[in-house]
Amino acid sequence: MAFNFNWSPLTADEKFYERTRDLLTTALNKSPKPPIIVDDILVTEFNLGSVPPELEILEIGDIAEDRFRGIFKMCYSGDAFLTLKTRVQANPLNTYLCSKPDFTSPQPLAAASGLTIPLQITLSEIKLSAFIILVFSKQKGLTLVFRNDPLESLKVSSTFDSIQFVRDYLQRTIEQKLRDLMMDELPAIIHKLSLQLWCPDQLPKEDEPAKEDGEAEVDPLASPPLDAVDADGHVLDPSEIAALSLDGGPEVQSLFSQKNMLRLAALSNANRTLGLASPTIRDVMFRAWAGAMDKMDGGVSTPYSPPSLTRAQSFQGTSTTYTFSDAGSDGAVGARPPLVSLGSATTGLTLGSGRHHKTGRKKKNRVVNLRKQAVVGETVSEMGESASDSASTMEGPASEPPMPSRMLEEQQELQMPAVAPQGGKVRFRSPDEKAEATRPSYVRSPLFEVPSAPITLAEPVSLTSKQTQASQETARLPVDTKTPMAWEKRGDLESDTSSVILEQAWIMKMAGEIARRVYNEKRRNPGFWEDRDDMPPPAYEPRR
Amino acid sequence: MREFMDNITNSFFQATGWNRDNSYSELNATTNDLLNFPLPHGLRLILSSLATPQFSTSYQLGAIGHVDGSIAYLYSSVPLHGVVAQSDRVPLVPLLESYRQLKDLGLGRSEQRFGVPGRTSGVPNNDTNKEYYRQGGHGPTLFYGSMFLPHSTLHARVIKRLTPSLQAQVSAVSSEDLRNGGTILGSAHYDRGIYNVEALASTDGGLLGVRGLYNFGGDASPGHIPPLEEAGNGERERIYGRFSVGGELYYGTLNKSAGMSLGARFATLPAYLGTPLTATVTINPLMGNISATYAVLAREKCSLATMMDFNVYSYESDWKIGMEIWSRRRPGRHLVEADPGDSIETVAAEGEEQTPKRRPRSFQAKMEWRLDYPEPTEAETGGESTAEEGEQLGVLKARLDQHGRIGLLWEGRIKSLLFSLGTGMDLRRLDQSFQSVGLNIQYSS
Repeated sequence: MAFNFNWSPLTADEKFYERTRDLLTTALNKSPKPPIIVDDILVTEFNLGSVPPELEILEIGDIAEDRFRGIFKMCYSGDAFLTLKTRVQANPLNTYLCSKPDFTSPQPLAAASGLTIPLQITLSEIKLSAFIILVFSKQKGLTLVFRNDPLESLKVSSTFDSIQFVRDYLQRTIEQKLRDLMMDELPAIIHKLSLQLWCPDQLPKEDEPAKEDGEAEVDPLASPPLDAVDADGHVLDPSEIAALSLDGGPEVQSLFSQKNMLRLAALSNANRTLGLASPTIRDVMFRAWAGAMDKMDGGVSTPYSPPSLTRAQSFQGTSTTYTFSDAGSDGAVGARPPLVSLGSATTGLTLGSGRHHKTGRKKKNRVVNLRKQAVVGETVSEMGESASDSASTMEGPASEPPMPSRMLEEQQELQMPAVAPQGGKVRFRSPDEKAEATRPSYVRSPLFEVPSAPITLAEPVSLTSKQTQASQETARLPVDTKTPMAWEKRGDLESDTSSVILEQAWIMKMAGEIARRVYNEKRRNPGFWEDRDDMPPPAYEPRR
Repeated sequence: MREFMDNITNSFFQATGWNRDNSYSELNATTNDLLNFPLPHGLRLILSSLATPQFSTSYQLGAIGHVDGSIAYLYSSVPLHGVVAQSDRVPLVPLLESYRQLKDLGLGRSEQRFGVPGRTSGVPNNDTNKEYYRQGGHGPTLFYGSMFLPHSTLHARVIKRLTPSLQAQVSAVSSEDLRNGGTILGSAHYDRGIYNVEALASTDGGLLGVRGLYNFGGDASPGHIPPLEEAGNGERERIYGRFSVGGELYYGTLNKSAGMSLGARFATLPAYLGTPLTATVTINPLMGNISATYAVLAREKCSLATMMDFNVYSYESDWKIGMEIWSRRRPGRHLVEADPGDSIETVAAEGEEQTPKRRPRSFQAKMEWRLDYPEPTEAETGGESTAEEGEQLGVLKARLDQHGRIGLLWEGRIKSLLFSLGTGMDLRRLDQSFQSVGLNIQYSS
């Protein structure tokens, strides 16, 4: 499937170019410039040309009238061009002295006097090839992220084309700058533009500090954690939790410890190195251990996993795989494969990690699910179908008789909805809902459709209910799952704007990091990526 | 204000009889001091001491948002006996004055006088030094080291006189911010009075450079006659000065870049009776840059300087003007000293004193385009003025450039503290015109 771009109306709008020029000028002048550039960089000409880019749909994660999410492959080799104007310092001695300490400066009398030369640079014959993650919602605007370094080649022509040394230098520097621009600035520019178009009311909120505030505003106590523990790991009463408030003191702070977050960050950073030692985190169950335990349980395992953005280490050990998954659109993802399968080849662009080796037969035609969530939820036959679907890989904990002790806990938890404010931004499921959660979320019956549940605790709970010897670590698992790492994207969140903003901010951040890392990876190991381009990962196999 | 260590280094040059100003890099020194004086930034305290005639220390503590500081040590193999380092006694005029009179080229200098500290400082210890060199002692050497905290930067400098006309200097900076952790600049200066040649090499970019200066006219001409007091009118009006021409050439061996400039200067000699002036022209033929400066010591304690810059390739131009006015009054004197009546009296007395000392040029002299004949009282007033020099308590320096930037600097002495208060202003941005304000306080003993 491919798009047929109607390229000219976009370029016909004169104001579009003006706006784009302004945005580009601001973006180019943001970072501190090297001493050789003595003036502001101005974008004087910008033209998208007449040749549209080729866009290929690799996957559509979510589609509706007001929202869209998908992954594309974009190729461009058109006649767009961009002209920049600035002034440069032509005296090499002048720029040489700029960065040197005065103490050892030769202190030339007039040899370092400056000569500024206006410089015009034209960028043309831009060749792009990129995987793009596109998230659009009427409320959140358009978020576009490059999954790899999009720039393939580029022709730089300037005032100094006759001088070989200068030309090479400019070519090198500009390619570098443009890469940074594409990876960091362009997503922000596009997002800003889209907000201007669709939701101008959200525009002031889009400043970076506003986002931070939005994140801080989410009151995690609005709905208490399911298995809340105190600093020592003892399970807290619901009444105790009710007594807590955000400004309640150190006890509350420890529930959502900053230290834990730092440790988690350290852990995720540890994956980027070759170091064998990863930081130990208290009260955390690692996936590797979970896999082993699941095996001990006789391979029953694979508790229902909430759809979420997860990251798994690929077997190369150097590249990191990101997985975007969403229950609303892809039922199969809901049934995540056993964690043991992580050892298999999960490389490159992978959706649902190792799933393709189990459902490899189906992988080519599973991509688009255009059904709306509400409609799906009503059909019982669908539910059965998907249940059988997931039965191949997992045994629903719902069918399992819960342990008596577990029952007791659940009795307590039953009171929680009364305690928690219904309009809470972060909600955890009631036990009834938990039973629902063992099925893929879209088949959840409307009766239990509570407003929004961005954090799903179904997985850990079912895990603990299964394991009688549930250690303290396992019991505390829910506490850790409510860290922002477990944020998930769901279709039914639109009503909740603050979590939308939060989610968006996070997605932006995450996607930016993905892009940056992939780019770094590509630079470090170009050969690896060239191979990858020839042979796209199976999950994304484009149909040509 | 010259920094303490700079001042001590200068004293070392004076003591060893080295003419620091006879160099191409110092061609513009006067206008540079008048137009590009450094403005203090933030609050800075400097404690210095010439502990022994050979050893001095300096500590700096600065606060520009963050606190930083430096520790510096200096050792001179030549005892700096005549140097006054105490901040309550140090003469301000040589320390603060921008206009530099030409110095004697030392053409009649003999090998024997080389490195004799007593020659300029006036301390009669020539015999001991002669003895020192007779015993085969080394040439005078100066070591300087300075450590900056918390940036972990280290400065080091060694200056050594090898022969009476050859001096070597090595400067090094070690800092983690620099590309290879540091740079070293080595230079050799060969000074024969009439001409001066310097060669330098830097590890940074493999820069090599040559500078040269040649003096002629005035006292540098072979058969020069010092103007006599009893010479006729024509002789008196003849401008008496020295021409210097020079050039510099640099080549970066690693980055294959080059730079050069040519320059010429005309400056009146101290013996000239008219208004002292200095004019320079520098040309950078590679970059098409022409710069002309003109500085004049307009009144006894007032200097003016202008600079014009033009680039023949880019048609860019630039100008700067600067001035320096000496004040006899102690800044904020009525605040410092409690008795206001006293200060008024003193000021009035000073005012009376001044009028007879420096009379305006007589109308007749102006019409005849000549200077006044020296009055018989000239010698007396001259004597007075030197005695009063200690009364020069403050100097105001100001500069203005084409971009509407103003720099103001007020330097002086309160009790035994030397201070310099400066501010930079931008007239183009009136909403935030004060770009920087700074105060340096220096105490030395």
